[in-house]
Amino acid sequence: MSNPFTRMPSQDERAAATKVTDSCAFKAGFSGIAGYGIGLMFGLVLSGIEFSSPVDTTASTKQQIKTVIKDMGNKSLSSAKNFAIMAAIYSGSECMIESYRAKNDIYNSIGAGCITGGTLAAKTGPRGMAAGCAGFAAFSAGIDWYMHKDD
Amino acid sequence: MFGGVFGGGSQKPVQSAPMGGMPGMGQGQGQMDPNAQLAAAEQEMEMVTDMFARLGELCNKKCILQRYSDEDLTKAESVCIDRCVAKYFQVNREVSDKLAKLSQVNQ
Repeated sequence: MSNPFTRMPSQDERAAATKVTDSCAFKAGFSGIAGYGIGLMFGLVLSGIEFSSPVDTTASTKQQIKTVIKDMGNKSLSSAKNFAIMAAIYSGSECMIESYRAKNDIYNSIGAGCITGGTLAAKTGPRGMAAGCAGFAAFSAGIDWYMHKDD
Repeated sequence: MFGGVFGGGSQKPVQSAPMGGMPGMGQGQGQMDPNAQLAAAEQEMEMVTDMFARLGELCNKKCILQRYSDEDLTKAESVCIDRCVAKYFQVNREVSDKLAKLSQVNQ
């Protein structure tokens, strides 16, 4: 019995799959999902480190534990959402810049970092956006340089 | 303009491979004898081979990075190859059109 789950993919199917996975939209979405997962774990760790709002000490132990866990969960989810948005914006913009320039060097990362930093700091006005752009661009340039140092 | 937002970066179908290097050729082709037809086919085959070799070398030199960190083509290289091939054929087409016009004027 031959169905898509048991037979080998044909050349056309593989080409179509490659076309989908190489597209910018797919890359952005996939990075968003991966960012969500990483953000969940990061948020869990972060909520353990930072001091949360004071717990009601008159409630029973089980109630206190439930409150703390719910707070950890909320922090974790909000951190996951932020990470997902940041990763999706970075990945999508880097892919679009690279498709436009048709070159593969470090300036793609710098541009994508600037766009991401600027977008995330949009609420703080033009100065905040410039600072966010510069900071995130420097950060992503450093990471990209380190990753491709030995090529 | 972005070329790769919804699934670009792979081969586009070649729109019309121009065999336009010979403006005087398409005039009496139905009546040629088999020898001439064979010679014409051989010549066309040579032209195609030459065009393919030139195109490959040109786009390779222009688009492929010298830094081989991965065996797959990056998105930039795929987009560059698409554009290189399309531009080559367009240049070919326009040059042959101009040649045809010139030869018509001279006649």
